Amino acid sequence: MSEARVLHAEVGIVGAGPGGLAAAVELVRQGLSVLVLDEGQQPGGQIFRQLPPGAAALPGQEPPSHQAGHGLLAAATEHAVPVHHGATVWNVAPGRLWFEQHGQSWLLCCRHLVLATGAFDRCVPFPGWTLPGVTTAGALQVMVRGYGVVPGRRALVVGSGPLLLPTVATLHQAGVEVVAALEASSRWRALRALPAVLTNAARRREALWYARSLLRAGVRLRWGWTVFACEGDGRVQRAVIGKVDAEGNPRRGSERRLEVDVVGAGFGLVPSIELGQLLGCRTRYDAPRGGHCLEVDGQQGTSVAGVYAVGEACGVGGAEVAMAEGRLAAAAIVAAVRQTPIDAALRTRVAAERRAADAMLRAFAPLPGLHRLATDDTLVCRCEDVPLARARAAAALHGDSLRAIKVGCRAGMGPCQGRICGSSLQALATGRCDVVPDLPVAQVPGKPVRSATIVDAPEPPATA
Amino acid sequence: MSGSRLPGQDQRPAVTFTFAGRPVVARAGDSIAMALWAAGERELRRSSGEGRPRGVYCNMGVCFDCLVVVDGVTVRGCTTTVQDGMRVERGGRP
Ligand SMILES: Cc1cc2nc3c(=O)[nH]c(=O)nc-3n(C[C@H](O)[C@H](O)[C@H](O)COP(=O)(O)OP(=O)(O)OC[C@H]3O[C@@H](n4cnc5c(N)ncnc54)[C@H](O)[C@@H]3O)c2cc1C
Ligand code: FES
Repeated sequence: MSEARVLHAEVGIVGAGPGGLAAAVELVRQGLSVLVLDEGQQPGGQIFRQLPPGAAALPGQEPPSHQAGHGLLAAATEHAVPVHHGATVWNVAPGRLWFEQHGQSWLLCCRHLVLATGAFDRCVPFPGWTLPGVTTAGALQVMVRGYGVVPGRRALVVGSGPLLLPTVATLHQAGVEVVAALEASSRWRALRALPAVLTNAARRREALWYARSLLRAGVRLRWGWTVFACEGDGRVQRAVIGKVDAEGNPRRGSERRLEVDVVGAGFGLVPSIELGQLLGCRTRYDAPRGGHCLEVDGQQGTSVAGVYAVGEACGVGGAEVAMAEGRLAAAAIVAAVRQTPIDAALRTRVAAERRAADAMLRAFAPLPGLHRLATDDTLVCRCEDVPLARARAAAALHGDSLRAIKVGCRAGMGPCQGRICGSSLQALATGRCDVVPDLPVAQVPGKPVRSATIVDAPEPPATA
Repeated sequence: MSGSRLPGQDQRPAVTFTFAGRPVVARAGDSIAMALWAAGERELRRSSGEGRPRGVYCNMGVCFDCLVVVDGVTVRGCTTTVQDGMRVERGGRP
């Protein structure tokens, strides 16, 4: 294999979001050699997503949290943090990251690894959720803030959790009429998040900013409502919305119809942990934090020596958490290399940010009753076109485990490797809505790449 | 047609490609999926079992619902940057 395709750094970081970048800036400042790899074309990750250079800007103001993003991106530029964009990491081993960039196969050899791989939208199947024009809430954010594309004229935003607000704000800024914004949690349940918001200055400012932006947009968040179905000829044209009870069970008879041309649905986030799984890192299940997360110790170390995880990958928590954890992981690596102590303030900060985030997320933990939105012919697996009835039959015949259901009906066997259906498949197939889902098995490639990339994967040099 | 661009000056060069034989004008830096969305296209492929229309769902490379065929190779439309002269066809089953 050609030597030119093997790179070396003391620390390899996957993800140029707030978690990965915060770690990288700190490490570079301490004089360690670092390389950050990210699939995306711009630094910033999900929250600090940027438009391509030269594109028309998004009109209006930014939420306060994005100011922190500008600071972080400026620091990364100032310290010349090396980031490879369009670099997809598809396999890992301790001290090794295999990635594809511009169709070529690369290997990064490093002593320490930081996984800052973020999260993606949690999906809840409902009739019509596969119609073109029905997307995740995150998809619409990416569309507007990452590409400057206006999603449509009349949008419905549905789901649960704090990310509905930025979605509404972004759509309004892009000139889209948000005809309804539906939060499945009841107002009373959401009130539990209030102390966490009020006692944390940054979260208080953020909440106020969004409250004002909703007011400006003339959008009232409806609590205890969700989408029951989407309809249309080849693309979404109507949405049926209705009320849900405190557990998320649909209240039949409360339906209303809305004319819409785009629907963004987001029921929270699911951590991206496949690289950690491939490394053999221990995971734990934490429903409010999005499900299966990478387990970390008091300094962001995973159960595998030399492998650290920060941000959403070790449980959903938002950008402040991700940045605090990134800095702590950097300090832990510096401490390991130089035998110096870790500043206790960094740990205190992580603990405080996690406490605030957890308190907020508990108020929006997934509602089990939402799994009753799907009907017999609703597809539960988008890749393999498996309707709910077939998944139920598979569970009845083969057993309740994820594996048994997959083998029985092929749900979760498609190219998304069960990432989209994994958080809901077992609840849907078994009818036990609050079941703790099994951990899906991660496979190489952890992210899809060309077969030539895998065949040409550089071998680690004998000396490294 | 639903879907367009943010108002204001876009200084990126135009890029032209074809989708199912028809020319589409995009901007440098667009993904195939976003260029098509901006052009009003929602259906990118037909599903594997029932042959139903599918399009962008996650827009971040996770779901594989945006599969299209570029010069004979199936790719995710949302993670593939458009190039001048590209020939893009609707995707089939994953
Ligand atoms: C679509 C979306 C929109 C969001 N919008 C907001 C918002 O407006 N406000 C808010 O407070 N929070 C938002 N969030 C929540 C967001 O996850 C956090 O606030 C924050 O971005 C988390 O930081 P992170 O560093 O943990 O991960 P992220 O910011 O998600 O960064 C992870 C990075 O890792 C990269 N990556 C992952 N796997 C690989 C791989 N195998 N190879 C190469 N690169 C890889 C990704 O491309 C990504 O850039 C959003 C989340 C999503 C999914
Ligand atoms: S829209 Fe999900 S992979 Fe492209």
